[in-house]
Amino acid sequence: MDNSKEDQKDTYQVFLMPSGKRGKVKRGTNLLHAAEKLGVELESICGGRQTCGKCQVIVESGYFPKHGITSSPDHLSPPQEGEIACCQQHGITGRRLACAAKVLGDVLISVPEESQARKQIIAKAASDRVIAVNPALRQVYVKVEAASLGDPRGDWERLALALETQWGLSELTIDSKVLPNLQRILREGDFSVTVTLWQEKEVLQVQPGYCEGIYGLAVDVGSTTIAAHLCDLRTGEVLSTQASMNPQVRYGEDLMSRVSYATTESQGLARLNRLVIRTLNELAEKATRAAGLTKDDVLDVVIVGNTVMHHILLGINPVELGRAPFALALFSDLDLKARDIGLGLNLAARVHTLPLIAGHVGADNVGVMLSESPHEQDEIMLLVDVGTNAEIVLGDRQKLLVASSPTGPAFEGAQITHGQRAAPGAIERVRINPETLEAQIRVIGFNDWIDLQDGKSIPPEAKPTGICGSGIIEAIAEMFLSGIINASGLFEESARERSVRVRYQGRTGEYVLVDNKHSATGSPIVITQNDVRAIQLAKAALYAGTKLLMAHRGVDRIDRIVLAGAFGSFISPFHAMVLGLIPDCDLDRVIAVGNAAGDGARIALLDIKMRQKAEQLARWVDYVETPLAASFQEEFVAALNLPHSLDLFPHLKEFLPKTDSQKERKLRNKIRNLKGNGPS
Amino acid sequence: MSDEIDITQMETSEILELIQDDLYDGLADEVEKSVHELLNRGMTPHDVLTQGLVAGMEVVGVDFRDGILFVPEVLMAAKSMKAGMEILRPLLAETGAPQVGTMVIGTVKGDIHDIGKNLVAMMMEGAGFSVINLGINNDVTNFLNAIEEHKPDILGMSALLTTTMPYMEVVIEALKEQGIRDHLIVLVGGAPLNDAFAEEVGADAYCRDAAVGVETAKKLLAIRREKLG
Repeated sequence: MDNSKEDQKDTYQVFLMPSGKRGKVKRGTNLLHAAEKLGVELESICGGRQTCGKCQVIVESGYFPKHGITSSPDHLSPPQEGEIACCQQHGITGRRLACAAKVLGDVLISVPEESQARKQIIAKAASDRVIAVNPALRQVYVKVEAASLGDPRGDWERLALALETQWGLSELTIDSKVLPNLQRILREGDFSVTVTLWQEKEVLQVQPGYCEGIYGLAVDVGSTTIAAHLCDLRTGEVLSTQASMNPQVRYGEDLMSRVSYATTESQGLARLNRLVIRTLNELAEKATRAAGLTKDDVLDVVIVGNTVMHHILLGINPVELGRAPFALALFSDLDLKARDIGLGLNLAARVHTLPLIAGHVGADNVGVMLSESPHEQDEIMLLVDVGTNAEIVLGDRQKLLVASSPTGPAFEGAQITHGQRAAPGAIERVRINPETLEAQIRVIGFNDWIDLQDGKSIPPEAKPTGICGSGIIEAIAEMFLSGIINASGLFEESARERSVRVRYQGRTGEYVLVDNKHSATGSPIVITQNDVRAIQLAKAALYAGTKLLMAHRGVDRIDRIVLAGAFGSFISPFHAMVLGLIPDCDLDRVIAVGNAAGDGARIALLDIKMRQKAEQLARWVDYVETPLAASFQEEFVAALNLPHSLDLFPHLKEFLPKTDSQKERKLRNKIRNLKGNGPS
Repeated sequence: MSDEIDITQMETSEILELIQDDLYDGLADEVEKSVHELLNRGMTPHDVLTQGLVAGMEVVGVDFRDGILFVPEVLMAAKSMKAGMEILRPLLAETGAPQVGTMVIGTVKGDIHDIGKNLVAMMMEGAGFSVINLGINNDVTNFLNAIEEHKPDILGMSALLTTTMPYMEVVIEALKEQGIRDHLIVLVGGAPLNDAFAEEVGADAYCRDAAVGVETAKKLLAIRREKLG
């Protein structure tokens, strides 16, 4: 180890997962204080006296190329008597007490959910949609002829015959893991058994006597969040929804970093695969326990995820997804045995993965389509799933087009000065008074609007730590509506005279959304010129992709828009439109849904016909590679302005500031000329 | 236009200032007029280029770097610069005026994003460089052939994906193998890159954005020319 070098430094990097908070702290800083300073509050009842054992953390070991640090347990001061005693008393192993550890080197710290003072709230909750219940599993009760001397047939053959004569089920097979216990169970039930069949083809379970109850899991493996819904496959009811952060986050927040990690680090793929499988097992455990069941009761699973998550989950090296032409290992749906991918459910449990569409359009997008049904519309519908890569679906029952647009992680709070993920403490909604330029905000974990006017005090639990995707979208749209920035995205110098909240650092402006007195970190939360630029780039990529699909489809207006994606509260359709994230549309016909991908997984779990539908849809939609289109650059440039330099937004007419100055008209003409001339 | 100005009545220094303003505002026609007027007055093409166009684009570059101008405005400025440059290019070739420099630029293999790279190309042209833009998805052979053909002073490589940026090292290794690494200044850029990465792969510098790219190119080229005497 390079301890000699480490010793010379006086500050070290501390990364806290899963929040992604990071920063430098002085050598010898108490880890509990360091975490607080970086905006992560740890549970502590004893207040650092090493008695309550609540501030447990895990020190990760190894080199983390994404963050460029090597973390090691010995980068913290060794446990002393008090900590050792406390850990023994509370049965804590493999973890440190943050209050007892000093930072002596770079560390990557995982904060277990139970140690977080503000527990994670995950936006992914199963909604109540009308779904047909027609699952892949069926239970049948049969009486089997008892074995007798002179009858050489096996018990399985006798059971198969009973299923055929009593239920008309022929050519059945039996899962090899059911066979070992078959004879015992038949006798236990006095040759009366309940058989669980998969797709009327295979016996997955044989239980003595009469039983009822079949259960399945619908799983959405997101790059940030993994959610599992335990469903009763007879009633369709969601019995329990469990979610957790995707632990792969520590090896890279965006997908391409995961691909890099999987392909360049030895054991990288195996590690990422193990992490996601372990999380799925934990979620299954939690969900079944919450419903009074066990993991052994789960016999069917449907999984959706983006292409990279899909490949990693199946142990497929995602290397090809990281470079053009972004070839998938396979795009069809798959029926697998859960045990074959390491899931510890019932030994015979089945897994179905929804199909993929193209290199960057995955099963999650198919799930969104199942859930929102753009293919059943008579009107032109735009369906946008906003994330690091935005997937765009456009069309109607005649024809659907799909594209992926490289928006980058700005919408998830990355690249934003005070950006953070959607977690407690994150600003998720923003209103700016157009007269006073004072703000009101909503903070995740605090259920009311917070007035940030100077002099007003706010409760400590309402103090924000940063701003997440939905918050940044609203903040920048509100800044535009109140004249803090103009249509080109530039801070208006005149705004400085209107409020002290607008100030300049050198030549560029920034807006103080939350001053130091009101923030949880003690430093102000500001929106800078660069933040505005980052959002402009991201939204322009999305808008340009939409425009290309509209051109492909030959339509110049959209009847209905659905915004999917879980980053904080649902995206406000109004603010998304003011920003120019989506084209003009009747605002009443723009809706924001949360985790539509997870709903799609649930639909496919409950209704086997929808699995066929998904495969058909995936093959029927036309994929368009937008960045390759000749006009992408022109569309992108024209979409950088707020809401757009050329396209009109009649539905926003009464809201948008009157900015049609001579200079902007000139600029508009120029951009129009630029577009007419085509690429240079 | 109502505010039509008769530039033939203006001082030469005023016209040079006007060119800068018109570039800033992206007014290609106005820039062309001024360039013609200055040439008519007997100014050398090289002086029109450096004192008018390049000086004007420097102002644009600084304001872009500081976030005051954004991509659409910069594109318009670059287009106007190009319009003026079209007039000057044949004249510059005739007079054998000193070249600012030549750059070969492209997005590396496996990557299909090129808006950022195109902006760099335009800003470099704005600074008077002659730029050969290879487009997207370039393998080692593409880069080597272009270098062989155009003998550039600078090679620029761009990547938007974490997964494609390592290919830059492959290209630089190939340059070394060919023994031509030291003939070139290698600049790299793209969202996931940073200074440490540039150093690791053996590039001369990482450029955060197009404006920094131009500044760095000029600086490194000047140092190099000084060394070579």
